[in-house]
Amino acid sequence: MSTDQQDDQGSEDSLVDVAEGIDHQVAMVMDLNKCIGCQTCTIACKSLWTEDGGSEYMYWNNVETKPGEGYPRGWEDSGGGWQSGEHSERQTGEIPDQEDYGRAWEFNHNEIMYEGSDEPLRPREGAEWGPNWDEDRGAGEYPNSYYFYLPRICNHCTHPSCVEACPRSALYKREEDGIVLVDQERCRGYRYCVEGCPYKKVYYNTVSKKSEKCIFCYPRLEGEGPDGETYAPACAEECPPQLRMVGFLDDEDGPIYKLVEEYEVALPLHPEFQTQPNVYYIPPFAPGQHTEDGETVDIDRIPRQYLRELFGDGVDEALDTIERERQRTRQGEDSELMDLLQDKNPAKQYRLGVFDDE
Amino acid sequence: MTSDAVRTAGLAAVLATLVLVSSVAAPLASARPAHEIPVTETERADLSQPAAAGWEDVPASDVALASAPSGVPNADDTTVETVHVQAARTDQRLFVRLEWDDATRDVSADDPRTFADAAAVQFPTNASARPPIAMGGPGNKVNVWFWSGATGSQELLAGGAGSTTAFQNPAIEANATHSGSGGNATWALVYSRPLNATGENRTALQTDGDLDVAFAVWNGSNGERAGQKAVSEWHYFPFGPGPQGPPYETLLWTVAGVAIVAVVGVTTFGIYRTREGN
Repeated sequence: MSTDQQDDQGSEDSLVDVAEGIDHQVAMVMDLNKCIGCQTCTIACKSLWTEDGGSEYMYWNNVETKPGEGYPRGWEDSGGGWQSGEHSERQTGEIPDQEDYGRAWEFNHNEIMYEGSDEPLRPREGAEWGPNWDEDRGAGEYPNSYYFYLPRICNHCTHPSCVEACPRSALYKREEDGIVLVDQERCRGYRYCVEGCPYKKVYYNTVSKKSEKCIFCYPRLEGEGPDGETYAPACAEECPPQLRMVGFLDDEDGPIYKLVEEYEVALPLHPEFQTQPNVYYIPPFAPGQHTEDGETVDIDRIPRQYLRELFGDGVDEALDTIERERQRTRQGEDSELMDLLQDKNPAKQYRLGVFDDE
Repeated sequence: MTSDAVRTAGLAAVLATLVLVSSVAAPLASARPAHEIPVTETERADLSQPAAAGWEDVPASDVALASAPSGVPNADDTTVETVHVQAARTDQRLFVRLEWDDATRDVSADDPRTFADAAAVQFPTNASARPPIAMGGPGNKVNVWFWSGATGSQELLAGGAGSTTAFQNPAIEANATHSGSGGNATWALVYSRPLNATGENRTALQTDGDLDVAFAVWNGSNGERAGQKAVSEWHYFPFGPGPQGPPYETLLWTVAGVAIVAVVGVTTFGIYRTREGN
């Protein structure tokens, strides 16, 4: 069938699988080797979008320690997503308990600042869990303990199960750039999106009685600020070690395309949820294990199986590729991959205007 | 075939027909009133509170509820099986009172996992055609009176599942109280609307014919919301001329009575003839 052959050829040509009906797909690559867990991204996001009543407990951007329970606690086992890559049957999911998100704690600021109390500054009561409660705990035993930080935002998935879960079509994927949004006019607070998202990145606002989520800072992308300039999402721009690249997955001249599609070193988180995330991670490297005498041995400190559980089987090849390219640069050779991972030029790190003329 | 055999066969055929007619006629006669919810005309100006004096004089209909067919998770899991419906009208307003069993008073949606109790009354926007029961259809919309324990009342328009939209200027009021405890606890809820309220997509209540109406109840503590709800079939308020409405019942009982008399007569005649033959 000539038509089928043309279709096959067409899909090979486009290379990137953007969702049906979407012109281009925004994407982000986060290099986990650069994350210092400072939470500047978290605060940049929070102070922009989730300071109003009902959103106190929300962190559209959070940074959690891995291995660890994450935010909300146990999100990786809370269901949601798709049963298979066919995207026909969704996996059932749960709405996290408020305690698993953690509450905004009340502190004894007043007693200490104004009433002369010599108590230590601490939450008044009920501080038994919260985001980063298990920060830096990680796993493993001395001298081979390990952990790394995992910054998380909405993945603006190519097959978003939150969108599919909403019986009112209140969630949708923007045609121009694939950003997933909740139409606040249509939302009636049913929370099927909250349970349907396997990453638990849709949140219920307890005051507005509607659901909310990361909007990929679309007003910044659109130059809606006072100076009319285009900016990357605040979590990326404010990052002290500048570990995030922002652009379009289908921008074949951009670093994201190269890292994800060509070198295949940037990987989605939990690909088995089958939503096809558009946030990708450079997996973390760690020094080899140490003997009791302090000698480094050739055993992975971060168990490879754990990384496979997080980033899928592609992590082996990704780590091998990066190691190979590192070796090249050690020997004084050029490596485009190493250049991409070290690039500090914002014009390349944030490529947001490439399709503006269409 | 002898003439006796022909006569016997004919008799059997007549008997079978008569039995069939009477068995069909009896259920038909009672089916129609089962879906009728009487509307009591009253002089009392204000029945808007569930405990208002006057409701005790208004007959209640027990409306059966069942899980709505829906694609949302756990759609089969609903708890409320019956809603008691009363309707009364003054020359100004229509009052609809719902009462149902619910052990827990769920009036908060202040936590990610909590859902509020809710109820709804559904009418066709255009009384001349009966819309699809599940939230109407695109060309045949429904006007919904919605109440939630957390957010109060809303007047809604829907043209199919997922299309619910709130009216900007609702014409309805709703008051609800939860009383009793445990297995005896109930919600009582009264909706009211001016009879002459008009507006695009708003059901006209000053109709001369029957007005279709359906009901839905959500139990918040069971996680019920959206399509996970207990719903009724279409019922109707007889807004037609005269209190009796069309005399279907009388007609059908008459047919059934004639059938019974005929069966007895023919049987007697048959027995008589058989004995005579001997």
